[in-house]
Amino acid sequence: MTNQQDSMHACPACGLLCDDISGDAIARQQFSCGKAAKFYARVSTGAQPQIAGRAASLTDAVAAAVAVLKQANTPLVAGSSTDVHGARALVRLAQHTGAAMTHMNASSTLRNMKVLQHRGWQTTTLTEVRNRADVILMIGTDVVTHNTRFFDRVVWVDDAMFTDPAARKIIYLGGDKLSTKPGISPDGRAPEVIACAAEHLPEVVATLRALVMDKPVTVASVAGIAVSTLKTLADTLKAAKYATLVWVSKDLHYDHAELTIENITETVVALNQKSRAMGLSMGGSDGDTSVNYAHTWLNGVIIDAPEWESHDAVVWVNSYSPDAMPPAGTGPVIVLGAPDSQFDVTPAVFIPVATPGLDCNGQQFRVDGSVTLPLTAAKPSDLPTLSQVVALIEAQLQGDLA
Amino acid sequence: MITLLKNAKVIDPANHKDGVVQDIYIRDGRIIAKPADSEKIGQVHDLNGKIVMAGAIDMHSHIGGGKVNIARMLLPEYQAMRRLEEPEAHICGANCSHHATPNTTDTGMRYIEMGYTAAFEPAILAVNARQAHMEMGDTPMIDKGGYAMLGNDDYFLRLLSQNADQKTINDYVAWTLHATQTIGIKVVNPGGISAFKFNERRQDLDQQHSHYHITPRRILQALSRAVNEIGIAKPLHVHCNNLGVAGNFQTTLDTMGASDGLPMHLTHIQFHSYGTEGDKKFSSAAANIAEAINSNKHITADVGQILFGQTVTASGDNMMQHLNAKVANPKKSVIMDIECDAGCGVVPFKYRDQNYVNALQWAIGLEVFLSVDDPWRVFLTTDHPNGAPFTSYPHLIRLLMDKTFRNDAFDKLNLDAQAMSNLKSLDREYSLYEIATMTRSAPAKLIGLQDRGHLGVGAAADITVYTDQADKEAMFAKPDLVFKDGELVVKEGKVVKVVWGATHTAKPAFDVGVEKDIKQYFDRYHTMQMNNFKISNDHIAEDGRNHVINHAQG
Repeated sequence: MTNQQDSMHACPACGLLCDDISGDAIARQQFSCGKAAKFYARVSTGAQPQIAGRAASLTDAVAAAVAVLKQANTPLVAGSSTDVHGARALVRLAQHTGAAMTHMNASSTLRNMKVLQHRGWQTTTLTEVRNRADVILMIGTDVVTHNTRFFDRVVWVDDAMFTDPAARKIIYLGGDKLSTKPGISPDGRAPEVIACAAEHLPEVVATLRALVMDKPVTVASVAGIAVSTLKTLADTLKAAKYATLVWVSKDLHYDHAELTIENITETVVALNQKSRAMGLSMGGSDGDTSVNYAHTWLNGVIIDAPEWESHDAVVWVNSYSPDAMPPAGTGPVIVLGAPDSQFDVTPAVFIPVATPGLDCNGQQFRVDGSVTLPLTAAKPSDLPTLSQVVALIEAQLQGDLA
Repeated sequence: MITLLKNAKVIDPANHKDGVVQDIYIRDGRIIAKPADSEKIGQVHDLNGKIVMAGAIDMHSHIGGGKVNIARMLLPEYQAMRRLEEPEAHICGANCSHHATPNTTDTGMRYIEMGYTAAFEPAILAVNARQAHMEMGDTPMIDKGGYAMLGNDDYFLRLLSQNADQKTINDYVAWTLHATQTIGIKVVNPGGISAFKFNERRQDLDQQHSHYHITPRRILQALSRAVNEIGIAKPLHVHCNNLGVAGNFQTTLDTMGASDGLPMHLTHIQFHSYGTEGDKKFSSAAANIAEAINSNKHITADVGQILFGQTVTASGDNMMQHLNAKVANPKKSVIMDIECDAGCGVVPFKYRDQNYVNALQWAIGLEVFLSVDDPWRVFLTTDHPNGAPFTSYPHLIRLLMDKTFRNDAFDKLNLDAQAMSNLKSLDREYSLYEIATMTRSAPAKLIGLQDRGHLGVGAAADITVYTDQADKEAMFAKPDLVFKDGELVVKEGKVVKVVWGATHTAKPAFDVGVEKDIKQYFDRYHTMQMNNFKISNDHIAEDGRNHVINHAQG
């Protein structure tokens, strides 16, 4: 094996986890993805723990964090932007402090989880799509806003085992401000765009499901889309060898959007009675899949939605989103997070920790859930890991109890 | 320090001991010969003739990986909060689990409390192995290991369809064991998971795969030969075609012949022992299956007993689980195609004793247990959680050991099912020696754990101490003492010390040249680098608790 292979990194900047990032590309800052460029441009040097905005030693900052946690009756572990190792540490910290635990993407994660727990679903993963999908229907999303290289890595590839990648049919159904240019095939074939605002997707997707199930639809149009257009779409899906219905739960951000997702996944279930189709949930960031999965195997339940008002202290982890902070008015806040964090409001305690995939190694789930990739330190630093800092906090909490 | 277990009544089939009263000495986690009188004994447990067996080994239990975690997510309506006591609370705090799909902490705790010291995840999707190991790494108290799934992955099917030579197949199989840190190879619905992706709904043993034009029989031949030739102990672990289908016993019988006499293990055979007789066209073929096992010495089987109650089934067999989803209870299911590697299907079931099919399934499993002569070749499993959670093993053991108890349970079944079963004519009652064989000695031998499953000098000191009781369920539910690698970890059925166990693997030699072609395949068709598919020892040891124990093969 060559050194070049060994220096390939998996990029945790989004849920796609592209693992073809060479050390050379990082050194030269040459990326085909803005999210990766931004991630690998981050600088961890010079960060120092702080208590109420003033520089402090790690020991003192840990003691200050412990003092906050001991005074709190109902702490909350939130943000949780980290990897599997970090998730394990946070679950442990939550258990030891009696804290609830959530993630900065909880609302979009739970939109999907509601569907899984209510009806289940039938889904696929990226390599299957890459090799099989002949029709890709993107519902309410362009995907690339979240996963920049989706088309490069999965759709317009050179080779596929069971389909001609260049001949794939790409269809966008609804959504706001979509970037559909990546859906143009390598030979210049434009994707089909069936436009409607995201807020009209509930009735449009319900109609599509009805048509796929051969139920009578008596109106001529839905949200400005001719039913005949949707009928043609339903027939295209039925005729496909491997139709893939893609959604991004973050893009379906209206009330009860889980019902739209369920109509997407139940359309897949209906298609699979006679032909083959699968759902594909894309997006993902900040280790949301990792944190929800690890929380599930460690606790037996999925993560919670945050109820900010009912907590009197917050442990905030923002490793992949240095700008992200809890809503104003929650407090006191202990940030165990990005060394390059940006604070509008000074937290009670700030302890910079190593970012997995940048400063230290780690493991992260890809957005499709079945693949986990090792993260390697692209720019190793001597910052402590989240697990190490949590261990220091726990040791002192236990020592004080003993 | 030396620990002495005095006056142990040893039941140790591997060493042909059935109730021999003797002393056992332990040092550094191992059983040692009687030390010199000059050596100091640190700890003495006078057992006064209590029953002593090696720690039990579950050779087929879904304890970690993608489909298990989906199963954990799937039934929030059955989850309940519990407050645990120390030392369990020390690592899990407030705990919330459905009993059929316990979280990782619960899994380890419940196993060790029953005197089980190892469990093997039987369906690790190669591409999902990293997750399975992360979950098993978070499972305390017991040793772990797994079998990697092959036979539906497109790389292997391409090899076969291109008439690759057996050496290439052998190298790929051995490479997979290394890459996935597993100890055995499993095939699930050979060719069927792949065929489902091409819109096929059934795959019979001698039916050609619609795309690759090879048969499941050919897949079984190639894989059983590979496993045999690379020299690992664990025979090919086979989940036959036609899971759960009435009349599938013929497929199962035919499958026994597919390895040309090479060792093969047929898993959860209860689900593959169904006939089509009677008004309901669903009947027991346990007698045919047991007879075939008895006469085919190259075949071993675990039962996959069902027990009544709510569970969640989690299988790699997405083709058949897609059919089973129609009878899901509650009505929901997850079906996945995964990475040109495999698939999964997660379907909740509620087995009811008044349901004809369920009642007969219960009887069929017990008929198989009682009709297979050799306890070295039939294994005690519920295919956790698919037939029932592993926590029901003490109940199952009592059903095997206590004919009156079994017949009383039978009398409560659906009457039509009773009419279709010969269970009451089977008088056999398993002995403690036979139970020890099927839960200790035989699984260790099958998997190739030379130093586990027995109490001879040199064995790992995984030891369970029971009080002999008439009620075998009570006896096996709550051992007096359990030692894990020589440390006392359970007292009176309660965990007194938290330990983390290890991960057992098999890494036979192979020609690393095979990797060149595998890498080309990854680069051409996959969405990850081959190097990231491979799991290192360091990844198993991550977070400092787990470690790899590799077993020399051959």
